[in-house]
Amino acid sequence: MSTDTLDKGQARCPGAPSTQDIIAADKVTAPGWVRSESYQFLGDADIPKNRYIDPAFAKLEFETLWKKTWQFACREEHIPNVGDYHVYDLGPYSFIITRVTDTEIRAYYNACLHRGTKLRASGTEGSTDEFRCSFHGWSWNLDGSHKETVCHWDFPHVKSKDFALPQARVETLGGFVFINMDAKAPSLAEYLGPEALAHIKAWKLENRYVYLHVAKRLPCNWKLAIEAFQEAYHVIETHPQVAPSNGDANSQYDVYGEHVDRFISTLGVVSPHLYGKISEQDILNQFTLGDSSALGDTKLTVKDGGSARAVMAEMFRGMFEKATNTDLSKVSDSELLDCFSYTVFPNTFLFPGISLPMVYRFRPDPRDHRKCLYEVLFLRPVPVDGSRPMPAEAIRLEDHQSFKEAAGMDPGFGGILDQDTDNLVLQQEGLEASAKNGLTLGNYQEIRIRHFEQTVDKYVGRKA
Amino acid sequence: MSSSYARVVKSTEIPSGGRKVVEVEGKAIVICHVNNNFYAIANRCSHAERPLERGRLGQGWIACPFHGARFELATGKAMNLPATEPVVTYPLRIVEDWIEVLVEAAPPSGG
Repeated sequence: MSTDTLDKGQARCPGAPSTQDIIAADKVTAPGWVRSESYQFLGDADIPKNRYIDPAFAKLEFETLWKKTWQFACREEHIPNVGDYHVYDLGPYSFIITRVTDTEIRAYYNACLHRGTKLRASGTEGSTDEFRCSFHGWSWNLDGSHKETVCHWDFPHVKSKDFALPQARVETLGGFVFINMDAKAPSLAEYLGPEALAHIKAWKLENRYVYLHVAKRLPCNWKLAIEAFQEAYHVIETHPQVAPSNGDANSQYDVYGEHVDRFISTLGVVSPHLYGKISEQDILNQFTLGDSSALGDTKLTVKDGGSARAVMAEMFRGMFEKATNTDLSKVSDSELLDCFSYTVFPNTFLFPGISLPMVYRFRPDPRDHRKCLYEVLFLRPVPVDGSRPMPAEAIRLEDHQSFKEAAGMDPGFGGILDQDTDNLVLQQEGLEASAKNGLTLGNYQEIRIRHFEQTVDKYVGRKA
Repeated sequence: MSSSYARVVKSTEIPSGGRKVVEVEGKAIVICHVNNNFYAIANRCSHAERPLERGRLGQGWIACPFHGARFELATGKAMNLPATEPVVTYPLRIVEDWIEVLVEAAPPSGG
């Protein structure tokens, strides 16, 4: 059937099985959150380009969007004990995320209430029983109550009850600590919506730990960086080395409410762009892993009549169990192999799969709307013996460095991130140079970008 | 000026993630155990000269509990404000389960 006769957004890659067809043929059945679809056509007008290139738009985002949304600030494992703290910075804002009791985490605005000095330097963590300003020594208890004004006799107008540290809201989910500056914002559960919340809860990411953490500044607006990772449409042109083992053009795209969207991109199957050119053994040979260190030197072989995907699922289960000392016997082939990419608006990506067990976070540079900070965290299951390794310290790459240079980064995956980065500088400059005022999007494969930008519009339209 | 390694504590007495303050040649030193490595760092923050001993141990650093300055355990280098100056670190070795630290003795006074 010609795709021209379909309603907008209903066309899919011709001649290729759907993501759900591929997953349905797997040996170990996938859970419900994998075997569902939630696509919605959201229009086909161009996205105005000024949001990526206008510093005034970035300023508006800081005044509206960033003050009203739930943001991943740190993992609970970054502050395991009472008194531990972790400083989370977002643009001009800074928060001390601290564990006040075994069950309560708070986020204090990171500024002394005397003359404004940051109580803790940006990007740091530590442990304390009081937050004491390094300038004049004013101090606050762990619970945020005012502890001491040095030379109190000179400040009769300072009443301790009025000088508690201001707080942002805090909620935890899956081992992540989320904060929100807006006292009137919906709860995190309402923000995510019931379906996305159920997905995230099902992954039990609280049972993982940060195995590797890499940070690098990217040469583009933060939204361009995010959107480069929201579709598999670019794989065949940008990452041709991946296409032999990635169902790119037949990936699945879903949207959930205003704040969550996802794709499922199957691995261990050939790209529809390469049908007839690639054997099942080629798929295995060229498969690129995000965390291949867990595999060691094992080589995989497809027997006659078998499929690369089936072989990989079987082998992965055993190898990842051994490498990570975990029980994966009930985990589906799809969860072991496929790339599940979820965006939690505005700046977090969750990848609950086993082969690409990642989290991305993007933050705008407050001094330059053409720069952003990108972080990738690899989460491995906590060993079955229950011991929780200390979370990895962030490796901070210089602008000129390759992702491959980060110790522990899979070189194949590091190369993929380098390819993405190279595109982004060209895209930022190209948008500024273009005679065209907007970005044109595919109805299906680029639906996450439209979904994301529509939510941006909603927030910047709502003045703080 | 003379120097020799001084036995300070049995390595088995400091669990992973733990620390112990010892004194050698009149100097207070924190012995830290992080990720199967032991480090010896002076028990005095270079920023406000407060003791570091109750500071959090991270992957290769200790954070001053008073104002949050962090120092590399291996080199003593200051990692963030409000500190900019390093903290003294000492060579450390393990002999027969004993942690030994090398501290240069102070020169004799007077004369």
